[in-house]
Amino acid sequence: MIPLLLAAPLLLYMLVFYALPVLAMLLKGFGEQHWTLAHYASLADDPVFLKTFWNTLSTAALVTLGTLLLGYPVALALVRTRGVTAAIILVVILLPFWTSVLVRSYAWMVLMGRHGLINEALLAAGLIERPLRILNTSLATVIAMIHILLPYMILPIANALRQIDPSLARAASGLGASPFQAFRQVVLPLSVPGVAAGVLLVFVLSLGFYITPAMVGGPRDITLSMLIAQQVDQLNWAYAACLSTVLLATSLALIAAFQRLPGIGNAFRMNTR
Amino acid sequence: MRTPRSLSRLGRRTTLGLLGASAGAGLTAPFIRPSFAEPAWPEQTTIPDILKGSGEVRIATFGGTMQETQQKAYFEPFEKISGIKVRAFPGSDPTKIKAMVETGNVEWDLAQLSRGSIMNLQKRGDYFEKIDYDLVDAGVDKAYRFEYGLEMLVWAQVLGYRTDAFKGAKPSGWADFWDTKKFPGDRAMYGTGSGGWPELEFALLAAGVPADKLYPLDLEKGFASYDKIKKDIVKWWDTGAVPVQMLTDREVTMTTVWNGRMAALQAAGVPAAISWSQGLLKRDAWGIPKGAKNKLNAQKFVAYSTMAIPQARVSLGIPYGSVNDASNEYIPPERLEILPSAPKIKAQLVTYNYDWWIDNRDTVVNRFNKWLLG
Repeated sequence: MIPLLLAAPLLLYMLVFYALPVLAMLLKGFGEQHWTLAHYASLADDPVFLKTFWNTLSTAALVTLGTLLLGYPVALALVRTRGVTAAIILVVILLPFWTSVLVRSYAWMVLMGRHGLINEALLAAGLIERPLRILNTSLATVIAMIHILLPYMILPIANALRQIDPSLARAASGLGASPFQAFRQVVLPLSVPGVAAGVLLVFVLSLGFYITPAMVGGPRDITLSMLIAQQVDQLNWAYAACLSTVLLATSLALIAAFQRLPGIGNAFRMNTR
Repeated sequence: MRTPRSLSRLGRRTTLGLLGASAGAGLTAPFIRPSFAEPAWPEQTTIPDILKGSGEVRIATFGGTMQETQQKAYFEPFEKISGIKVRAFPGSDPTKIKAMVETGNVEWDLAQLSRGSIMNLQKRGDYFEKIDYDLVDAGVDKAYRFEYGLEMLVWAQVLGYRTDAFKGAKPSGWADFWDTKKFPGDRAMYGTGSGGWPELEFALLAAGVPADKLYPLDLEKGFASYDKIKKDIVKWWDTGAVPVQMLTDREVTMTTVWNGRMAALQAAGVPAAISWSQGLLKRDAWGIPKGAKNKLNAQKFVAYSTMAIPQARVSLGIPYGSVNDASNEYIPPERLEILPSAPKIKAQLVTYNYDWWIDNRDTVVNRFNKWLLG
């Protein structure tokens, strides 16, 4: 009873400021004046929705893969170093984390622009003859999003790595494993829950990205959140609500699926004993 | 067309909205400061007693430089002469009015919008009060009046280009915009991102449709023309700051843009110019949200702000035109020359047909989305 009371303020807060608005929004998807399933039914053969949904999922997948490949080694470095070096790595990871997404997106515009730093450097080095189009492409969106989301990948993995008993790796090498074998057969499998947490976090956050693709993305890179925003502005609130529901359902489904993965679900399950 | 001068469009739907507004403003503010070095502005020294009152009027604007100009042009003078206090808020937006009226929590007494967005909302329910035309100055042309709003600012959506991009050649009209051989470089055009209405008119003019035969817009022909420029459009912009930034950063050599933004860009020393030829003449309008607490004061302010002198004061602060015929007397000729309402410029522009768009916007936007992603 007492634990419930302790949680009551937050539960009430969530109910009033989160659950009720979300519910109101979900209901709007069934029509603003009278009940209808038309908006949901039409999604299945709505090319704009399908294309946008695919864009959103594929961008999220690429970004997740990118953050994983770049983030894992950094997490490893973070855990394996001590003192000042570790502190510096942590600051480097967290500094962009504390900077607004908008400021960082502007920074990418300065870097990747037609006459931005990257192009000017390549031109000066004689590697290209005319500026490349990097800004305003899908590539720019993926690069910028990877940068923004890297901490969400690195920190859970580092956390998992830190919890691995160092004597396990030592035992592996004592039994004749090379450093790589020790990593592959001992450390990597034990870090999987952290990887899963990072992947889930980055993927779900990617699904909702709006500002970055709108600012640095290509002319056809419309994400689901951009479409929702557009439809709100076009006063098609029922359709927008319907799209928001799809986005929410996708995230929830992913979280549910991850919880059911054997050996990984534990990472998300709380110890209630 | 909405929010021509709004800087706050970018992220207002997200928690990052505020950051968006401030960073956007920070980026463009140096370019769009109006020059207040003009000689003394004319003063409205008397008003009919019927426009006087008490209490306050809460006005939603598009913020930025426009609101600064409005403050000086007619908010402050109105307070002094009418006894009604003006409270101005940036971020006017028809979606907010829809929500306010539907929840019975109307926080604005008056909002700067466009005839298109007012009527588009009014089509879906009763969201606006009728304008009391008994109060409105006779100098306001009939063309600017409609039942649920009064137009109060004349501006133009035009072709803007880098003057250093084409070895001195000057593009003129949309056929040149479409001609990437003669005028090489990337382009940007207005998209449907934040409630925008695509620039089908420009696509049709580029395809050779005469300006006087433009409406009703021929969708087939328009999208066929769009096909030809699609690969050269690097950005379908949705906020007024974007085309200006893209010209400044040389991301594009030519873009569609709101004329007031270009004046600011030129003032900042960027080698860029406007081609007025075949631009679209558009207007902003006042609308009074249904059930506004101070709607009588709002009616009074609508009438006051469209009088000749308050209108002239706006044109002196920012290069947008007046809806009151008598304003021209108060504007020096050299200033008059750069306004979209100047006879020489207006003759080159095509008047935007809000009525056609009110009837067809949903169809066009859906088709545009499909076309863009297809």
